[in-house]
Amino acid sequence: MKALTANRLSDGEVVFWKSGAWVERLTDAEVFVAEDSAVTAETSARAQPTLAIDPYLIDLVETEGFWTPVSYRERIRALGPSNHERHGKQADGGDAVEALRHAHGAARSSGRVNLIRRK
Amino acid sequence: MYRYDAVDRAVLADRAAEFRDQVRRRLSGELTEDQFKPLRLMNGLYLQLHAYMLRVAVPYGSLDPRQMRALADIARRFDRGYGHFTTRTNIQFNWIRLADAPEILDVLAEADLHAIQTSGNCIRNVTADPYAGAAADELEDPRVWCEAIRQWSSLHPEFSFLPRKFKIAVTASPHDRTAAKVHDIGLLLRRGRDGATGFEVIVGGGMGRTPHVGPTLKAFLPSERLFSYLEAVLRVYNRHGRRDNIYKARIKILVAALGAEAFGREVEAEWEKIGVAGDLPGSEIVRIRDAFTRPELADSPAPGDFEARRAAEPAFARFVRNNLKAHKLSGYTIVDVSLKGVGETPGDISADQMDVVADLAERFGQGEIRSTHEQNLVLPHIRLADVHTVWKALDAARLATPNINLISDIIACPGLDYCALANARAICVAQDIARRFEAPDRAEAIGELKIKISGCINACGHHHVGHIGILGVDKKGEEFYQLTLGGSGAEDASVGKMLGPALPIDRVTDAVEAIVDAYLQQRQDGERFLDTLRRTGDAPFREAVYADAH
Ligand code: SF4
Repeated sequence: MKALTANRLSDGEVVFWKSGAWVERLTDAEVFVAEDSAVTAETSARAQPTLAIDPYLIDLVETEGFWTPVSYRERIRALGPSNHERHGKQADGGDAVEALRHAHGAARSSGRVNLIRRK
Repeated sequence: MYRYDAVDRAVLADRAAEFRDQVRRRLSGELTEDQFKPLRLMNGLYLQLHAYMLRVAVPYGSLDPRQMRALADIARRFDRGYGHFTTRTNIQFNWIRLADAPEILDVLAEADLHAIQTSGNCIRNVTADPYAGAAADELEDPRVWCEAIRQWSSLHPEFSFLPRKFKIAVTASPHDRTAAKVHDIGLLLRRGRDGATGFEVIVGGGMGRTPHVGPTLKAFLPSERLFSYLEAVLRVYNRHGRRDNIYKARIKILVAALGAEAFGREVEAEWEKIGVAGDLPGSEIVRIRDAFTRPELADSPAPGDFEARRAAEPAFARFVRNNLKAHKLSGYTIVDVSLKGVGETPGDISADQMDVVADLAERFGQGEIRSTHEQNLVLPHIRLADVHTVWKALDAARLATPNINLISDIIACPGLDYCALANARAICVAQDIARRFEAPDRAEAIGELKIKISGCINACGHHHVGHIGILGVDKKGEEFYQLTLGGSGAEDASVGKMLGPALPIDRVTDAVEAIVDAYLQQRQDGERFLDTLRRTGDAPFREAVYADAH
């Protein structure tokens, strides 16, 4: 399973793709079963460069009935910083946030490629 | 503090207006992200994990109360009520919206601040001794030279596109509080035999992927020849530094590849060509020196009830022992303000705390505030008679943790909680260790012990020069931590050595405790952790940490 993610251009907010638009919660994101539909969505997202920056696909696993990112980095993006629990999306609380906190996984997402140049 | 003139102000106003137009064009789609990214980075605006991050330059770590209040205003109006002081003595805001960035630059410019050259392959903010102008052991105030370097290097056309970023440190004390030997250039002010001042010039230090303690290129450079020499070093680097490989582009790689002697010969040849025409006229140094406002320090003011309170109040006495440093004038002291409250994020400060520090600097501290590369603040000129009042106010704002240079005074970079480049978190590791060693008697019994944590090999958390260094690594998507021992960023600079295999996150604090226990067993009279380690080697510590694994 995959989801498509990016940062919103206007404020840098972490966003997820849903049927041609961007949403803020991973629970609202479109989950791709087929590789080709994921790649098609990525191509569509790249065609909207004034909305979100550098969209990329992430791998998901099921945790406590929710789709959660395999990689630790993506779970932090989906939650917010672990030193400020009231900052970021985790502030909402709820079962989906708890599932993200409990999720385990391996393998870094592809989102880190080339990021060194941004520093 | 240095006072901006009309030209300085006009430059900043122009820069903010230019960026406003660039942001408008990006939001409208006129500029692509690839076109815009270098422009925003030139204004210190990064895209991190959760939002944009704005890095504001704190020139050589000096702030006045008005500037601190401007930072508090930005934290309140444009961020989430706090900022983060970094190991570059700058401040970062973690939750910035792109559309707000131009207005933030306006607010900064109003307070003579900016974000220029806080990113990119240029000469970055100069690191200065945070006790400059106050330290009992300094030869002269190094900030005059820092300001001259700032003016010389700002928007310098020849040095705006170097092979890689470039960092300079300046100190005028024998005790190095700037980590000068792990900067691209470290300038140590010395007095020559004839009484004139000059610099020992260290070139090619650095951390990151390939740490180096820089070699001394020139043992004594007369101070009036500083700028032609800097120009020669930068020019040789600009010409020969590698641009083909980002990991080999820093000057440390060039100096190591050529050898310090051969590199030095190239610099000498270039220096000769430049000649005295490349030096700053003496009148410029005088102009810059005169543009600093001088603190109005009295002649040996009476200490009031300082000693009586110290004798009567153990908590105050502990603060005095750990957070006060010797001032060059009797009746005054330097006060370290800890941004390392137990359980807090190292370097973080709330807007309300910024206001408290600004108020204290204004009322009791000659209007001077410093940020340190160890992510703390300093009030450099406090009368002994006022220390108790200042301590009370700091304590009420949770800024008086008496832990400077102790085990809980930990440097930690933002790590994977914020940074797009991170492998692992750093903040929670620091918090966990600080909690374990929360008991102040125990921390004082352990003595000076510097723990430094980076979330990746870029080493913003200076782990290579930590007495105990902790580096976050990624092992198949999980957070692991590599321990190094024996680093130092002080005058006895050294790069730490790896202790053994990386540890999972839940074993790091136990490992630190095992190292500390081994130290306390091995310690001989008066030895710091680093002294014991240097005497015994790391075998007892390796044994302590990895005993279970045998
Ligand atoms: S050391 Fe790495 S993780 Fe830490 S701030 Fe620097 S780049 Fe980010």
